[in-house]
Amino acid sequence: MTSRPRLHTSGKQLVGLVAFALFGVLVAVFLTADFGTAETFAGAEGITAAIGYSLFDLDAGSIPAEGFLVSFLVIAVVLDAALDATVMLATRDEDDVDEAAVTDGGREGGDR
Amino acid sequence: MAELTAFAPAIAVLPFVSFLVALFAGKYLPKKGAIAGSLATGGSLVLSLLMLYTVATGHAYQATLYTWVGGDVVPFELTFGILLDQLSTLMLVIVSTIALLVHVFSMGYMNDEGETGLPRYYAELGLFTASMLAFVFSDNLLMAFMFFELVGLCSYLLIGFWFREAGPPSAAKKAFLVTRFGDYFFLIGVVAVFATFGTAAFGGPGVEESFPALAEQALNGEATVTTFFGLDPAAWFTVIGLLVLGGVMGKSAQFPFHTWLPDAMEGPTPVSALIHAATMVAAGVYLVARMYGFYALSPTALAVIAFVGGFTALFAATMGVVKREIKQVLAYSTISQYGYIMLALGGGGYVAGVFHLTTHAVFKALLFLGAGSVIIAMHHNEDMWDMGGLKEKMPVTYYAFLSGSLALAGIVPFSGFWSKDEVLYETLVHGLGGSPLLLAAYAMGLLAVFFTGFYTFRMVLLTFHGEPRTDTARDPHGVRWNVKVPLVVLGVLAAVIGVINLVPIHALVSAVPELLHDWLYHGPEGLNGEHYHELVTSAEFAGYSAGTIPGLGEVGTLFASAGVSLAVALAGSGLAIALYRGPDPVAHTDKLGSLKTVLFNNYYQDEYQVWLAEGLTVPVAKAADGFDVRVVDGAVNFVSSLSLFTGDRLRRIQTGIVSNYAALLTLGLTILLVAFGALQGWFL
Amino acid sequence: MAVPVEYYLVLSAFVFCVGLFGILTRRNALLFLMSVELMLNAANINFVAFSYYHGNLTGQVFSLFTMALAAAEVAVGIGIILVLYRNFADVDVTKATTLRW
Repeated sequence: MTSRPRLHTSGKQLVGLVAFALFGVLVAVFLTADFGTAETFAGAEGITAAIGYSLFDLDAGSIPAEGFLVSFLVIAVVLDAALDATVMLATRDEDDVDEAAVTDGGREGGDR
Repeated sequence: MAELTAFAPAIAVLPFVSFLVALFAGKYLPKKGAIAGSLATGGSLVLSLLMLYTVATGHAYQATLYTWVGGDVVPFELTFGILLDQLSTLMLVIVSTIALLVHVFSMGYMNDEGETGLPRYYAELGLFTASMLAFVFSDNLLMAFMFFELVGLCSYLLIGFWFREAGPPSAAKKAFLVTRFGDYFFLIGVVAVFATFGTAAFGGPGVEESFPALAEQALNGEATVTTFFGLDPAAWFTVIGLLVLGGVMGKSAQFPFHTWLPDAMEGPTPVSALIHAATMVAAGVYLVARMYGFYALSPTALAVIAFVGGFTALFAATMGVVKREIKQVLAYSTISQYGYIMLALGGGGYVAGVFHLTTHAVFKALLFLGAGSVIIAMHHNEDMWDMGGLKEKMPVTYYAFLSGSLALAGIVPFSGFWSKDEVLYETLVHGLGGSPLLLAAYAMGLLAVFFTGFYTFRMVLLTFHGEPRTDTARDPHGVRWNVKVPLVVLGVLAAVIGVINLVPIHALVSAVPELLHDWLYHGPEGLNGEHYHELVTSAEFAGYSAGTIPGLGEVGTLFASAGVSLAVALAGSGLAIALYRGPDPVAHTDKLGSLKTVLFNNYYQDEYQVWLAEGLTVPVAKAADGFDVRVVDGAVNFVSSLSLFTGDRLRRIQTGIVSNYAALLTLGLTILLVAFGALQGWFL
Repeated sequence: MAVPVEYYLVLSAFVFCVGLFGILTRRNALLFLMSVELMLNAANINFVAFSYYHGNLTGQVFSLFTMALAAAEVAVGIGIILVLYRNFADVDVTKATTLRW
């Protein structure tokens, strides 16, 4: 019989109520704040094109946006770095025994 | 001629140089520093005689040598200076003479007996001589106090010279502590003088403000001084006088601070002769004489001095009667004789006090050196009951010792008679002039004369007369010239030095001068005997007046007093001779029974003082220590333990569980938002 | 009629707090990471809502960047969980408590 994950219902979980408290505070702030009238986009077409143009610092979109070329390049570098970092973290050292991959509890010897 | 006084500091510097020589080079010298010390004290003696001559030709001298603290920034000056006047030059001559003779004697007592550690001995002697001489020529009370303490230190070092035995270090410590106890009051007195007068200078030619002069002006209403505790100036000056008297009584071994002097006999005999007979214990009474212009203003202080002096004279003389060791008898004799000097000073007899100080220095040093010669002969056995019959074997010592004993007992025409008689006479006439306290002190002093004669001749007879009682007495060790020469010099001096102040002879034949009286009466303004006499007899200050025995007149009283004291001295001496003569004297003092036990145990004063230290002071000290450890340290430790406790509890927030940290973050954020919202009015 | 921006804010607050609840109560490290993802996405909703409110596309572009960053961060986070498992033999965050007093 398999065991499925059980919900932890020990007393320590009351800590989570803090999250509800925060929610209450945020809602109280947001609903009582005065935002005024909203300005919407001029048209729904061309949003994606405008996003593309702003990513390359080109000034051709019909909806106003700021230039994000530098951020684009930086995020490319960051993603690449993250990939390398993950691979480095996951690499096993030569003499490390990965106990998770041992299915028989680490016994020496053959199949018997 | 006055330029000679520029060399005055050398009087103290020369022995200090001999101290350094003996300390650093003593072990290379043939006599381990004795020659250097003798030369240095010889040089000091020559310079002191030159200074005496300079002052005699009318050039008293005062100079400030070094200013420790001074100038406009502070309200008073702390200086080192020299004051050379009649009193100080006289004392300088006395101290340097005896120091020189003791240095010569030490060559016989220490070097010839093969003692070890002699460089240290001569270094300490040199330091002592330098300090004592500097004390004598100090021109202000603070410098006097500093050298007072320094001589006390040298006394401690010298008493404890044979520190590897059990007795000397303990005696040295006792001497230091008992005198230190008195010096504590002295120090408070010095501070009080500075606080009251702004100056502690004794006076002298060219000194604008001295504290005795200021005190006299304050009492006359001509000047204002600061007094404390709401006392009027007369009462406050009495308080200051009594505070300084604490140091005086400690150093001069007056009751109740006398207990250290008999124990100080553990030191080498030349040390006892120099320090504990002639010079260091004289420092206390010298200070009173130096400050006499201040003490004469306060009748209460003078009365205290006189009464303490008279009482101590009698008290110590009774204890000297039953002692077995020769140096112990001499120690109690010293205490008793300094009681006489205090009696004289308190009774208004300034000249008498200084006279007895001079003669006592001579004959007591002589007696101690004689005892030292006997001790060498007896191979360091001091018990008089083991001696006997030494007069045939040691004639020089015997005759010198006899000269000193006759002076001590006060038999005419030896010096002690003239000085002791004058002490008693001054006290008597001032007592008859209307002071019953002085009459009581006089009675005690007179009774002490009887005991003095008794113990002196008991000592002489037991030591030198009769048949030898032990083998060492039959065949004593010989002594050389370096022991005999000082004895001869002092023996002659003890016999003749009385001529410096022959008061009774002068009363009959006025052509015979009262040399000391004239010497002390002509001094710088405010520091001479005539000024003191005015203060002592003026009704505003001490208020002593000279009375006479009814029906006899002044000269009659003089001779009656002399006759009575001579008769009492002869009676005491005669009783001793009658009891202890013959080939085989008996211990007659045993007949006193339990009284002898009390006297032999010094009226249990030593035990009493030990009890004061252990039973009274130690619990107080323990309580203070307990307070310090428990309350003060406890408060400090409590603060630190509080910090440790809170730290220990606060660190448990770091559980290492990330979720806890996140919870704390969230909680903090929520609270911050609520606080900002409430303050900024978001929720309105 | 446009949806008032407060509704988007409440929604984003709700998603954020759900993610926060997950961080505070979840013991499995992978579920912890999922909760972090939820919080990041709540922030993205906020960006887009205000982009529409101001009529400026900056918010939307920036939310693209935050998504990319979230991806990078999860990649590194998975690597860290792998190392954590190697050291503590369990992915329970309450077991890895050696960085304590």
